[in-house]
Amino acid sequence: MSGAVRLRVSELNKRFGGVVAVKNMSFDLRAGEIVGLIGPNGSGKSTVMSLIMGIQRANSGTIALDGTDIARWPAHRIARAGVAIVFQHSRPLQRQTVLENIKLALLPDSLLRLATEASVTERARAIAESVGLGGVLHRHPWTLPFADLRRMEVAKAVARDPKVVLIDEPFAGLTATEIKTFSDLIRSLRDAERAVLLVDHSVKSVAALADRVIAMYLGERIAEGNAAEVMQNETVRRVYLGGAIEAVKRTSAGADAATLLDIGSVDVFYGKAQALERIDLRVHQDEFVSIVGLNGAGKTTLFNAISGLVPYRGLIRFGGRDLRNLTAAAIARAGIVHCPETRELFGYMSVRENLDLGGGHLSSGERQTQLAWVFELFPILEQRQAQAARTLSGGEQQMLALGRALMMQPKLLILDEPTLGLAPVILAQMSKAIERLRKERSLTLLLAEQNVTFALPHSDRLYLLDHGRVAWQGDPARFAAEMRTGYL
Amino acid sequence: MRAVQILVDGFAISSLYGLAAVGFTLIFGVSGVLNLAHGGIMVVAALIGWAAAAEFGLNSYAGTGLGILAGLATAYATYLIVVRPIQRSRAIRPEETEIFVLTGTLLWGIMIQVGMAYLFSDNPVTIRPLVAGVVNVLGVRTPANEILIAIIAWALIGLLWLLVNRTRTGKALLGASMNPRGVTLLGYELTRIYFIAWTIYGLLAGIAGVLLASFLGVGTANTGQLTASAFSIVVLGGLGSVSGSLIAAYVVGYLETMTAYLVAPTLRPIPALILLVLVVYVRPQGLLGRR
Amino acid sequence: MAFLRSRVLWIGAAVVVTAALLPLWLSAYLLGVLTAAYYFGVFAMAWDLLFGFAGEVNFGPTFLIGLGAYTAAILNSEFGLPIPVCVVAGALAAVVGGILLAVPALRLRGPYFGLVTLVAVLLLQNLIVIFAGVTGGEIGMTVPDVLSIDEKVNYWFALAFLTICAVLLYGLSRSAVGLILQASGQDAVEASALGFNVTKHKIAAFCISALFSGTAGALLIFYMGTASINTVIDLAIAVQIIIAAVLGGRRTILGAALGAVVLIVANEFLRPLGQLNTFVVSAVALAVILFFPEGLLGYALHRGERE
Repeated sequence: MSGAVRLRVSELNKRFGGVVAVKNMSFDLRAGEIVGLIGPNGSGKSTVMSLIMGIQRANSGTIALDGTDIARWPAHRIARAGVAIVFQHSRPLQRQTVLENIKLALLPDSLLRLATEASVTERARAIAESVGLGGVLHRHPWTLPFADLRRMEVAKAVARDPKVVLIDEPFAGLTATEIKTFSDLIRSLRDAERAVLLVDHSVKSVAALADRVIAMYLGERIAEGNAAEVMQNETVRRVYLGGAIEAVKRTSAGADAATLLDIGSVDVFYGKAQALERIDLRVHQDEFVSIVGLNGAGKTTLFNAISGLVPYRGLIRFGGRDLRNLTAAAIARAGIVHCPETRELFGYMSVRENLDLGGGHLSSGERQTQLAWVFELFPILEQRQAQAARTLSGGEQQMLALGRALMMQPKLLILDEPTLGLAPVILAQMSKAIERLRKERSLTLLLAEQNVTFALPHSDRLYLLDHGRVAWQGDPARFAAEMRTGYL
Repeated sequence: MRAVQILVDGFAISSLYGLAAVGFTLIFGVSGVLNLAHGGIMVVAALIGWAAAAEFGLNSYAGTGLGILAGLATAYATYLIVVRPIQRSRAIRPEETEIFVLTGTLLWGIMIQVGMAYLFSDNPVTIRPLVAGVVNVLGVRTPANEILIAIIAWALIGLLWLLVNRTRTGKALLGASMNPRGVTLLGYELTRIYFIAWTIYGLLAGIAGVLLASFLGVGTANTGQLTASAFSIVVLGGLGSVSGSLIAAYVVGYLETMTAYLVAPTLRPIPALILLVLVVYVRPQGLLGRR
Repeated sequence: MAFLRSRVLWIGAAVVVTAALLPLWLSAYLLGVLTAAYYFGVFAMAWDLLFGFAGEVNFGPTFLIGLGAYTAAILNSEFGLPIPVCVVAGALAAVVGGILLAVPALRLRGPYFGLVTLVAVLLLQNLIVIFAGVTGGEIGMTVPDVLSIDEKVNYWFALAFLTICAVLLYGLSRSAVGLILQASGQDAVEASALGFNVTKHKIAAFCISALFSGTAGALLIFYMGTASINTVIDLAIAVQIIIAAVLGGRRTILGAALGAVVLIVANEFLRPLGQLNTFVVSAVALAVILFFPEGLLGYALHRGERE
């Protein structure tokens, strides 16, 4: 089915300051095949795509398009050479119609050509029809539904008959039916003998489409093969799940304990895309609930809705009180403390200052006591208390973020992906700290994690989020039994 | 003799520039706003301060106080009438908000300038110095007022430092300049923090305005130039960096004073402008900036 | 789209014809006001091209205008060169200035670039004051030649110039190049990914804006017979140009010309208020920014398209 090698990436390296984003990456793309490049956040997959397109420049390595090295070329030259990209977020010209947006893609890069030839308009029309946009040629992008905007991006990409098509997160924001039709569209690209590279964080979503899958982690390739092989690969499973999913015995906190957080039928929209759909979720007093799911499933969106950072439809109640009309800061003061994935530390302030700010609402004496407890939990923070937060390592920053959240004496602590990008040794420390938290304080915890192995041992209950919906809920033992193979 | 004169005069003017620039940079750091009506706030403070004493016969202390309050009121008006509505407007795309705020404050600044000129004429006014007399500094006879200005300016800067580094509110302000979402998640209301930032800014600009009036004299014609020099200093020092602004204020203040004394008074603003162009071409983030 | 275009054409033609007939009824004074307004219209359209299409906010359009104006004025008064030569030289000087502005623009974000444009104006202003011997300093200078003494001829010349510039700039904005410019301004990364050399196009936008600004500036000098900071360089003029473009509607080109004419005429009617007319104009512009950020024409055009 697949033909000649269209794109050959060899020993590609990219560093951002001290962070290695891509390390010795090599792979081939053939005509008439769809390759899936998968990996969690921070794996380097999106960077690889930027490097191929010339949006970023590699530190070393070659990218050969039909034999010619394009690694040092500017983006527009690479585009003219036959590489096209569909970005994760649609980028239409809002003031132009669909037809004009596609016509733009067909224009030559000339300062002197003032009139567009009639043939250009005809070709634009034909391309629009081939992706299913024939009926909306004269509409403006902000009137179109989300799926149509994605089609328009594909139309722009294929306008000049590219040899290689790069697509970033093809299915983000699409409903199940839309995914089907969009997949057909991508297949048609392969049938036209183009080389297609899909970048995504889920093997499952590209499994049906991809002829080959390459898995990345921390900038390197860790597995390659067909979809089934990669899903079964040991290293891949460890990276995604954090290890084997083992059955865990847990004495759950009484399910008859009072409901602390009540989420009912919550929807969240980002513009046209639906990020959360009819979420029902409950957390009881002193419970430890984990929300697991891959990137893009909606975990962070849900937490942002609870914290009042994004608008939502539906009901969110805390201790019986409707949170809708409270400001985000008021929600934090009410006892819901959110420690986000991005940590949001004050980089230029010291560790001690960050912690003090967290304890800003306490009296001086209370703050001292709380601080002493946080230092006991995380001794490294006491050692580094005079250092600027941005000079800490990743693990230390996460501990600081957690410590700062604890300074607020939360009734409900919301932790978003605390283990992201951290080394296993730090994970063990965090795990111990969370265990102590549960034992020593009356703390209700809501945790979002991709790393199921980290979440399982502590959780009383689990929810699985998939594409913005609650796909599964129950206790850890059942999860281990049922989700062993199905998770990825 | 000349050298000492330059040293002393330059110090006084630099301290005043520093005071005004610190306020400007604070508002940029916390609120994200480049306030082109900055000169207008200083001019209002100066004119009201003068009018209170000259036309209503209040003593110079009360007049100065009234002037400072007028500056504060103008700062609030700038935030509530121009900046906040634009920042919250849903009709403006988020990428364009900065530019609209810039244009809005520019227009507001012009309105202030013309409005004040209508009410008070555009002649420069001087406020009677708070201390009279002359002091001998290293052999140069200097108005005691100049010394007082430098002392007040540095006292205020010191107070600000204490506020930001030793009080909870100040730390929250500092935090907001680094990470607004971070302070929200810690339970601090951003609206309150912005209010405090504009209060501090209004006071600093107001005080700088009345002090400048007692030293060199201020008129509505100076409005644009005052904004421009604050802008230059802050970009030179690095947008968002208070210490950068202070250093830059002295660089600019001394450059200007030296030019005025050694070359020609009319060429006073030129070196700073040239320096600004160089900085923008070579190191756009300024000396110590991080944004 | 095609329908709209022809509608614009017919309305535009009607407006021009009406304007051409005005000298039959209006006094010399009012004709003078309109003449200046038409040159202002070109300033505003050139600004809109740069802002609306290349996405660059120019807070000192008078830098380019001033370069064109003073170059032409000095060549005419010091060397006695004929008007057409001076105008061309002025246009070229402005283009060079445009390239000088383009270089930092390509490396700086929005407010920083706006700052550079402001500084450029201040520097030019100071330079003119320093070299007062040649430039007449703050008082200004006179030029020996003028386009015409007859106010009707001046009026028709200005109208013709405005019409030609409007046709050229509007046509450009609607052309393939205009589409590429818009893309470069709105989303440089996407434009590169579609195969367009954004740097090349942005520099071109600066040069085009400079060409029209400089030419109009030079012609304005030969209409008025004088050149001074207050008429072609002062920040107040720069702000008026920006107000005109924003009032009329950004990214419409024709709206900018409309805004300029409305603004100048309004200034005249508000003249009895004395100094306060600037206040009123600024207040109205501020109100437009707060309530109609799309501008008058922009609002009118998009109202039909709103959901």
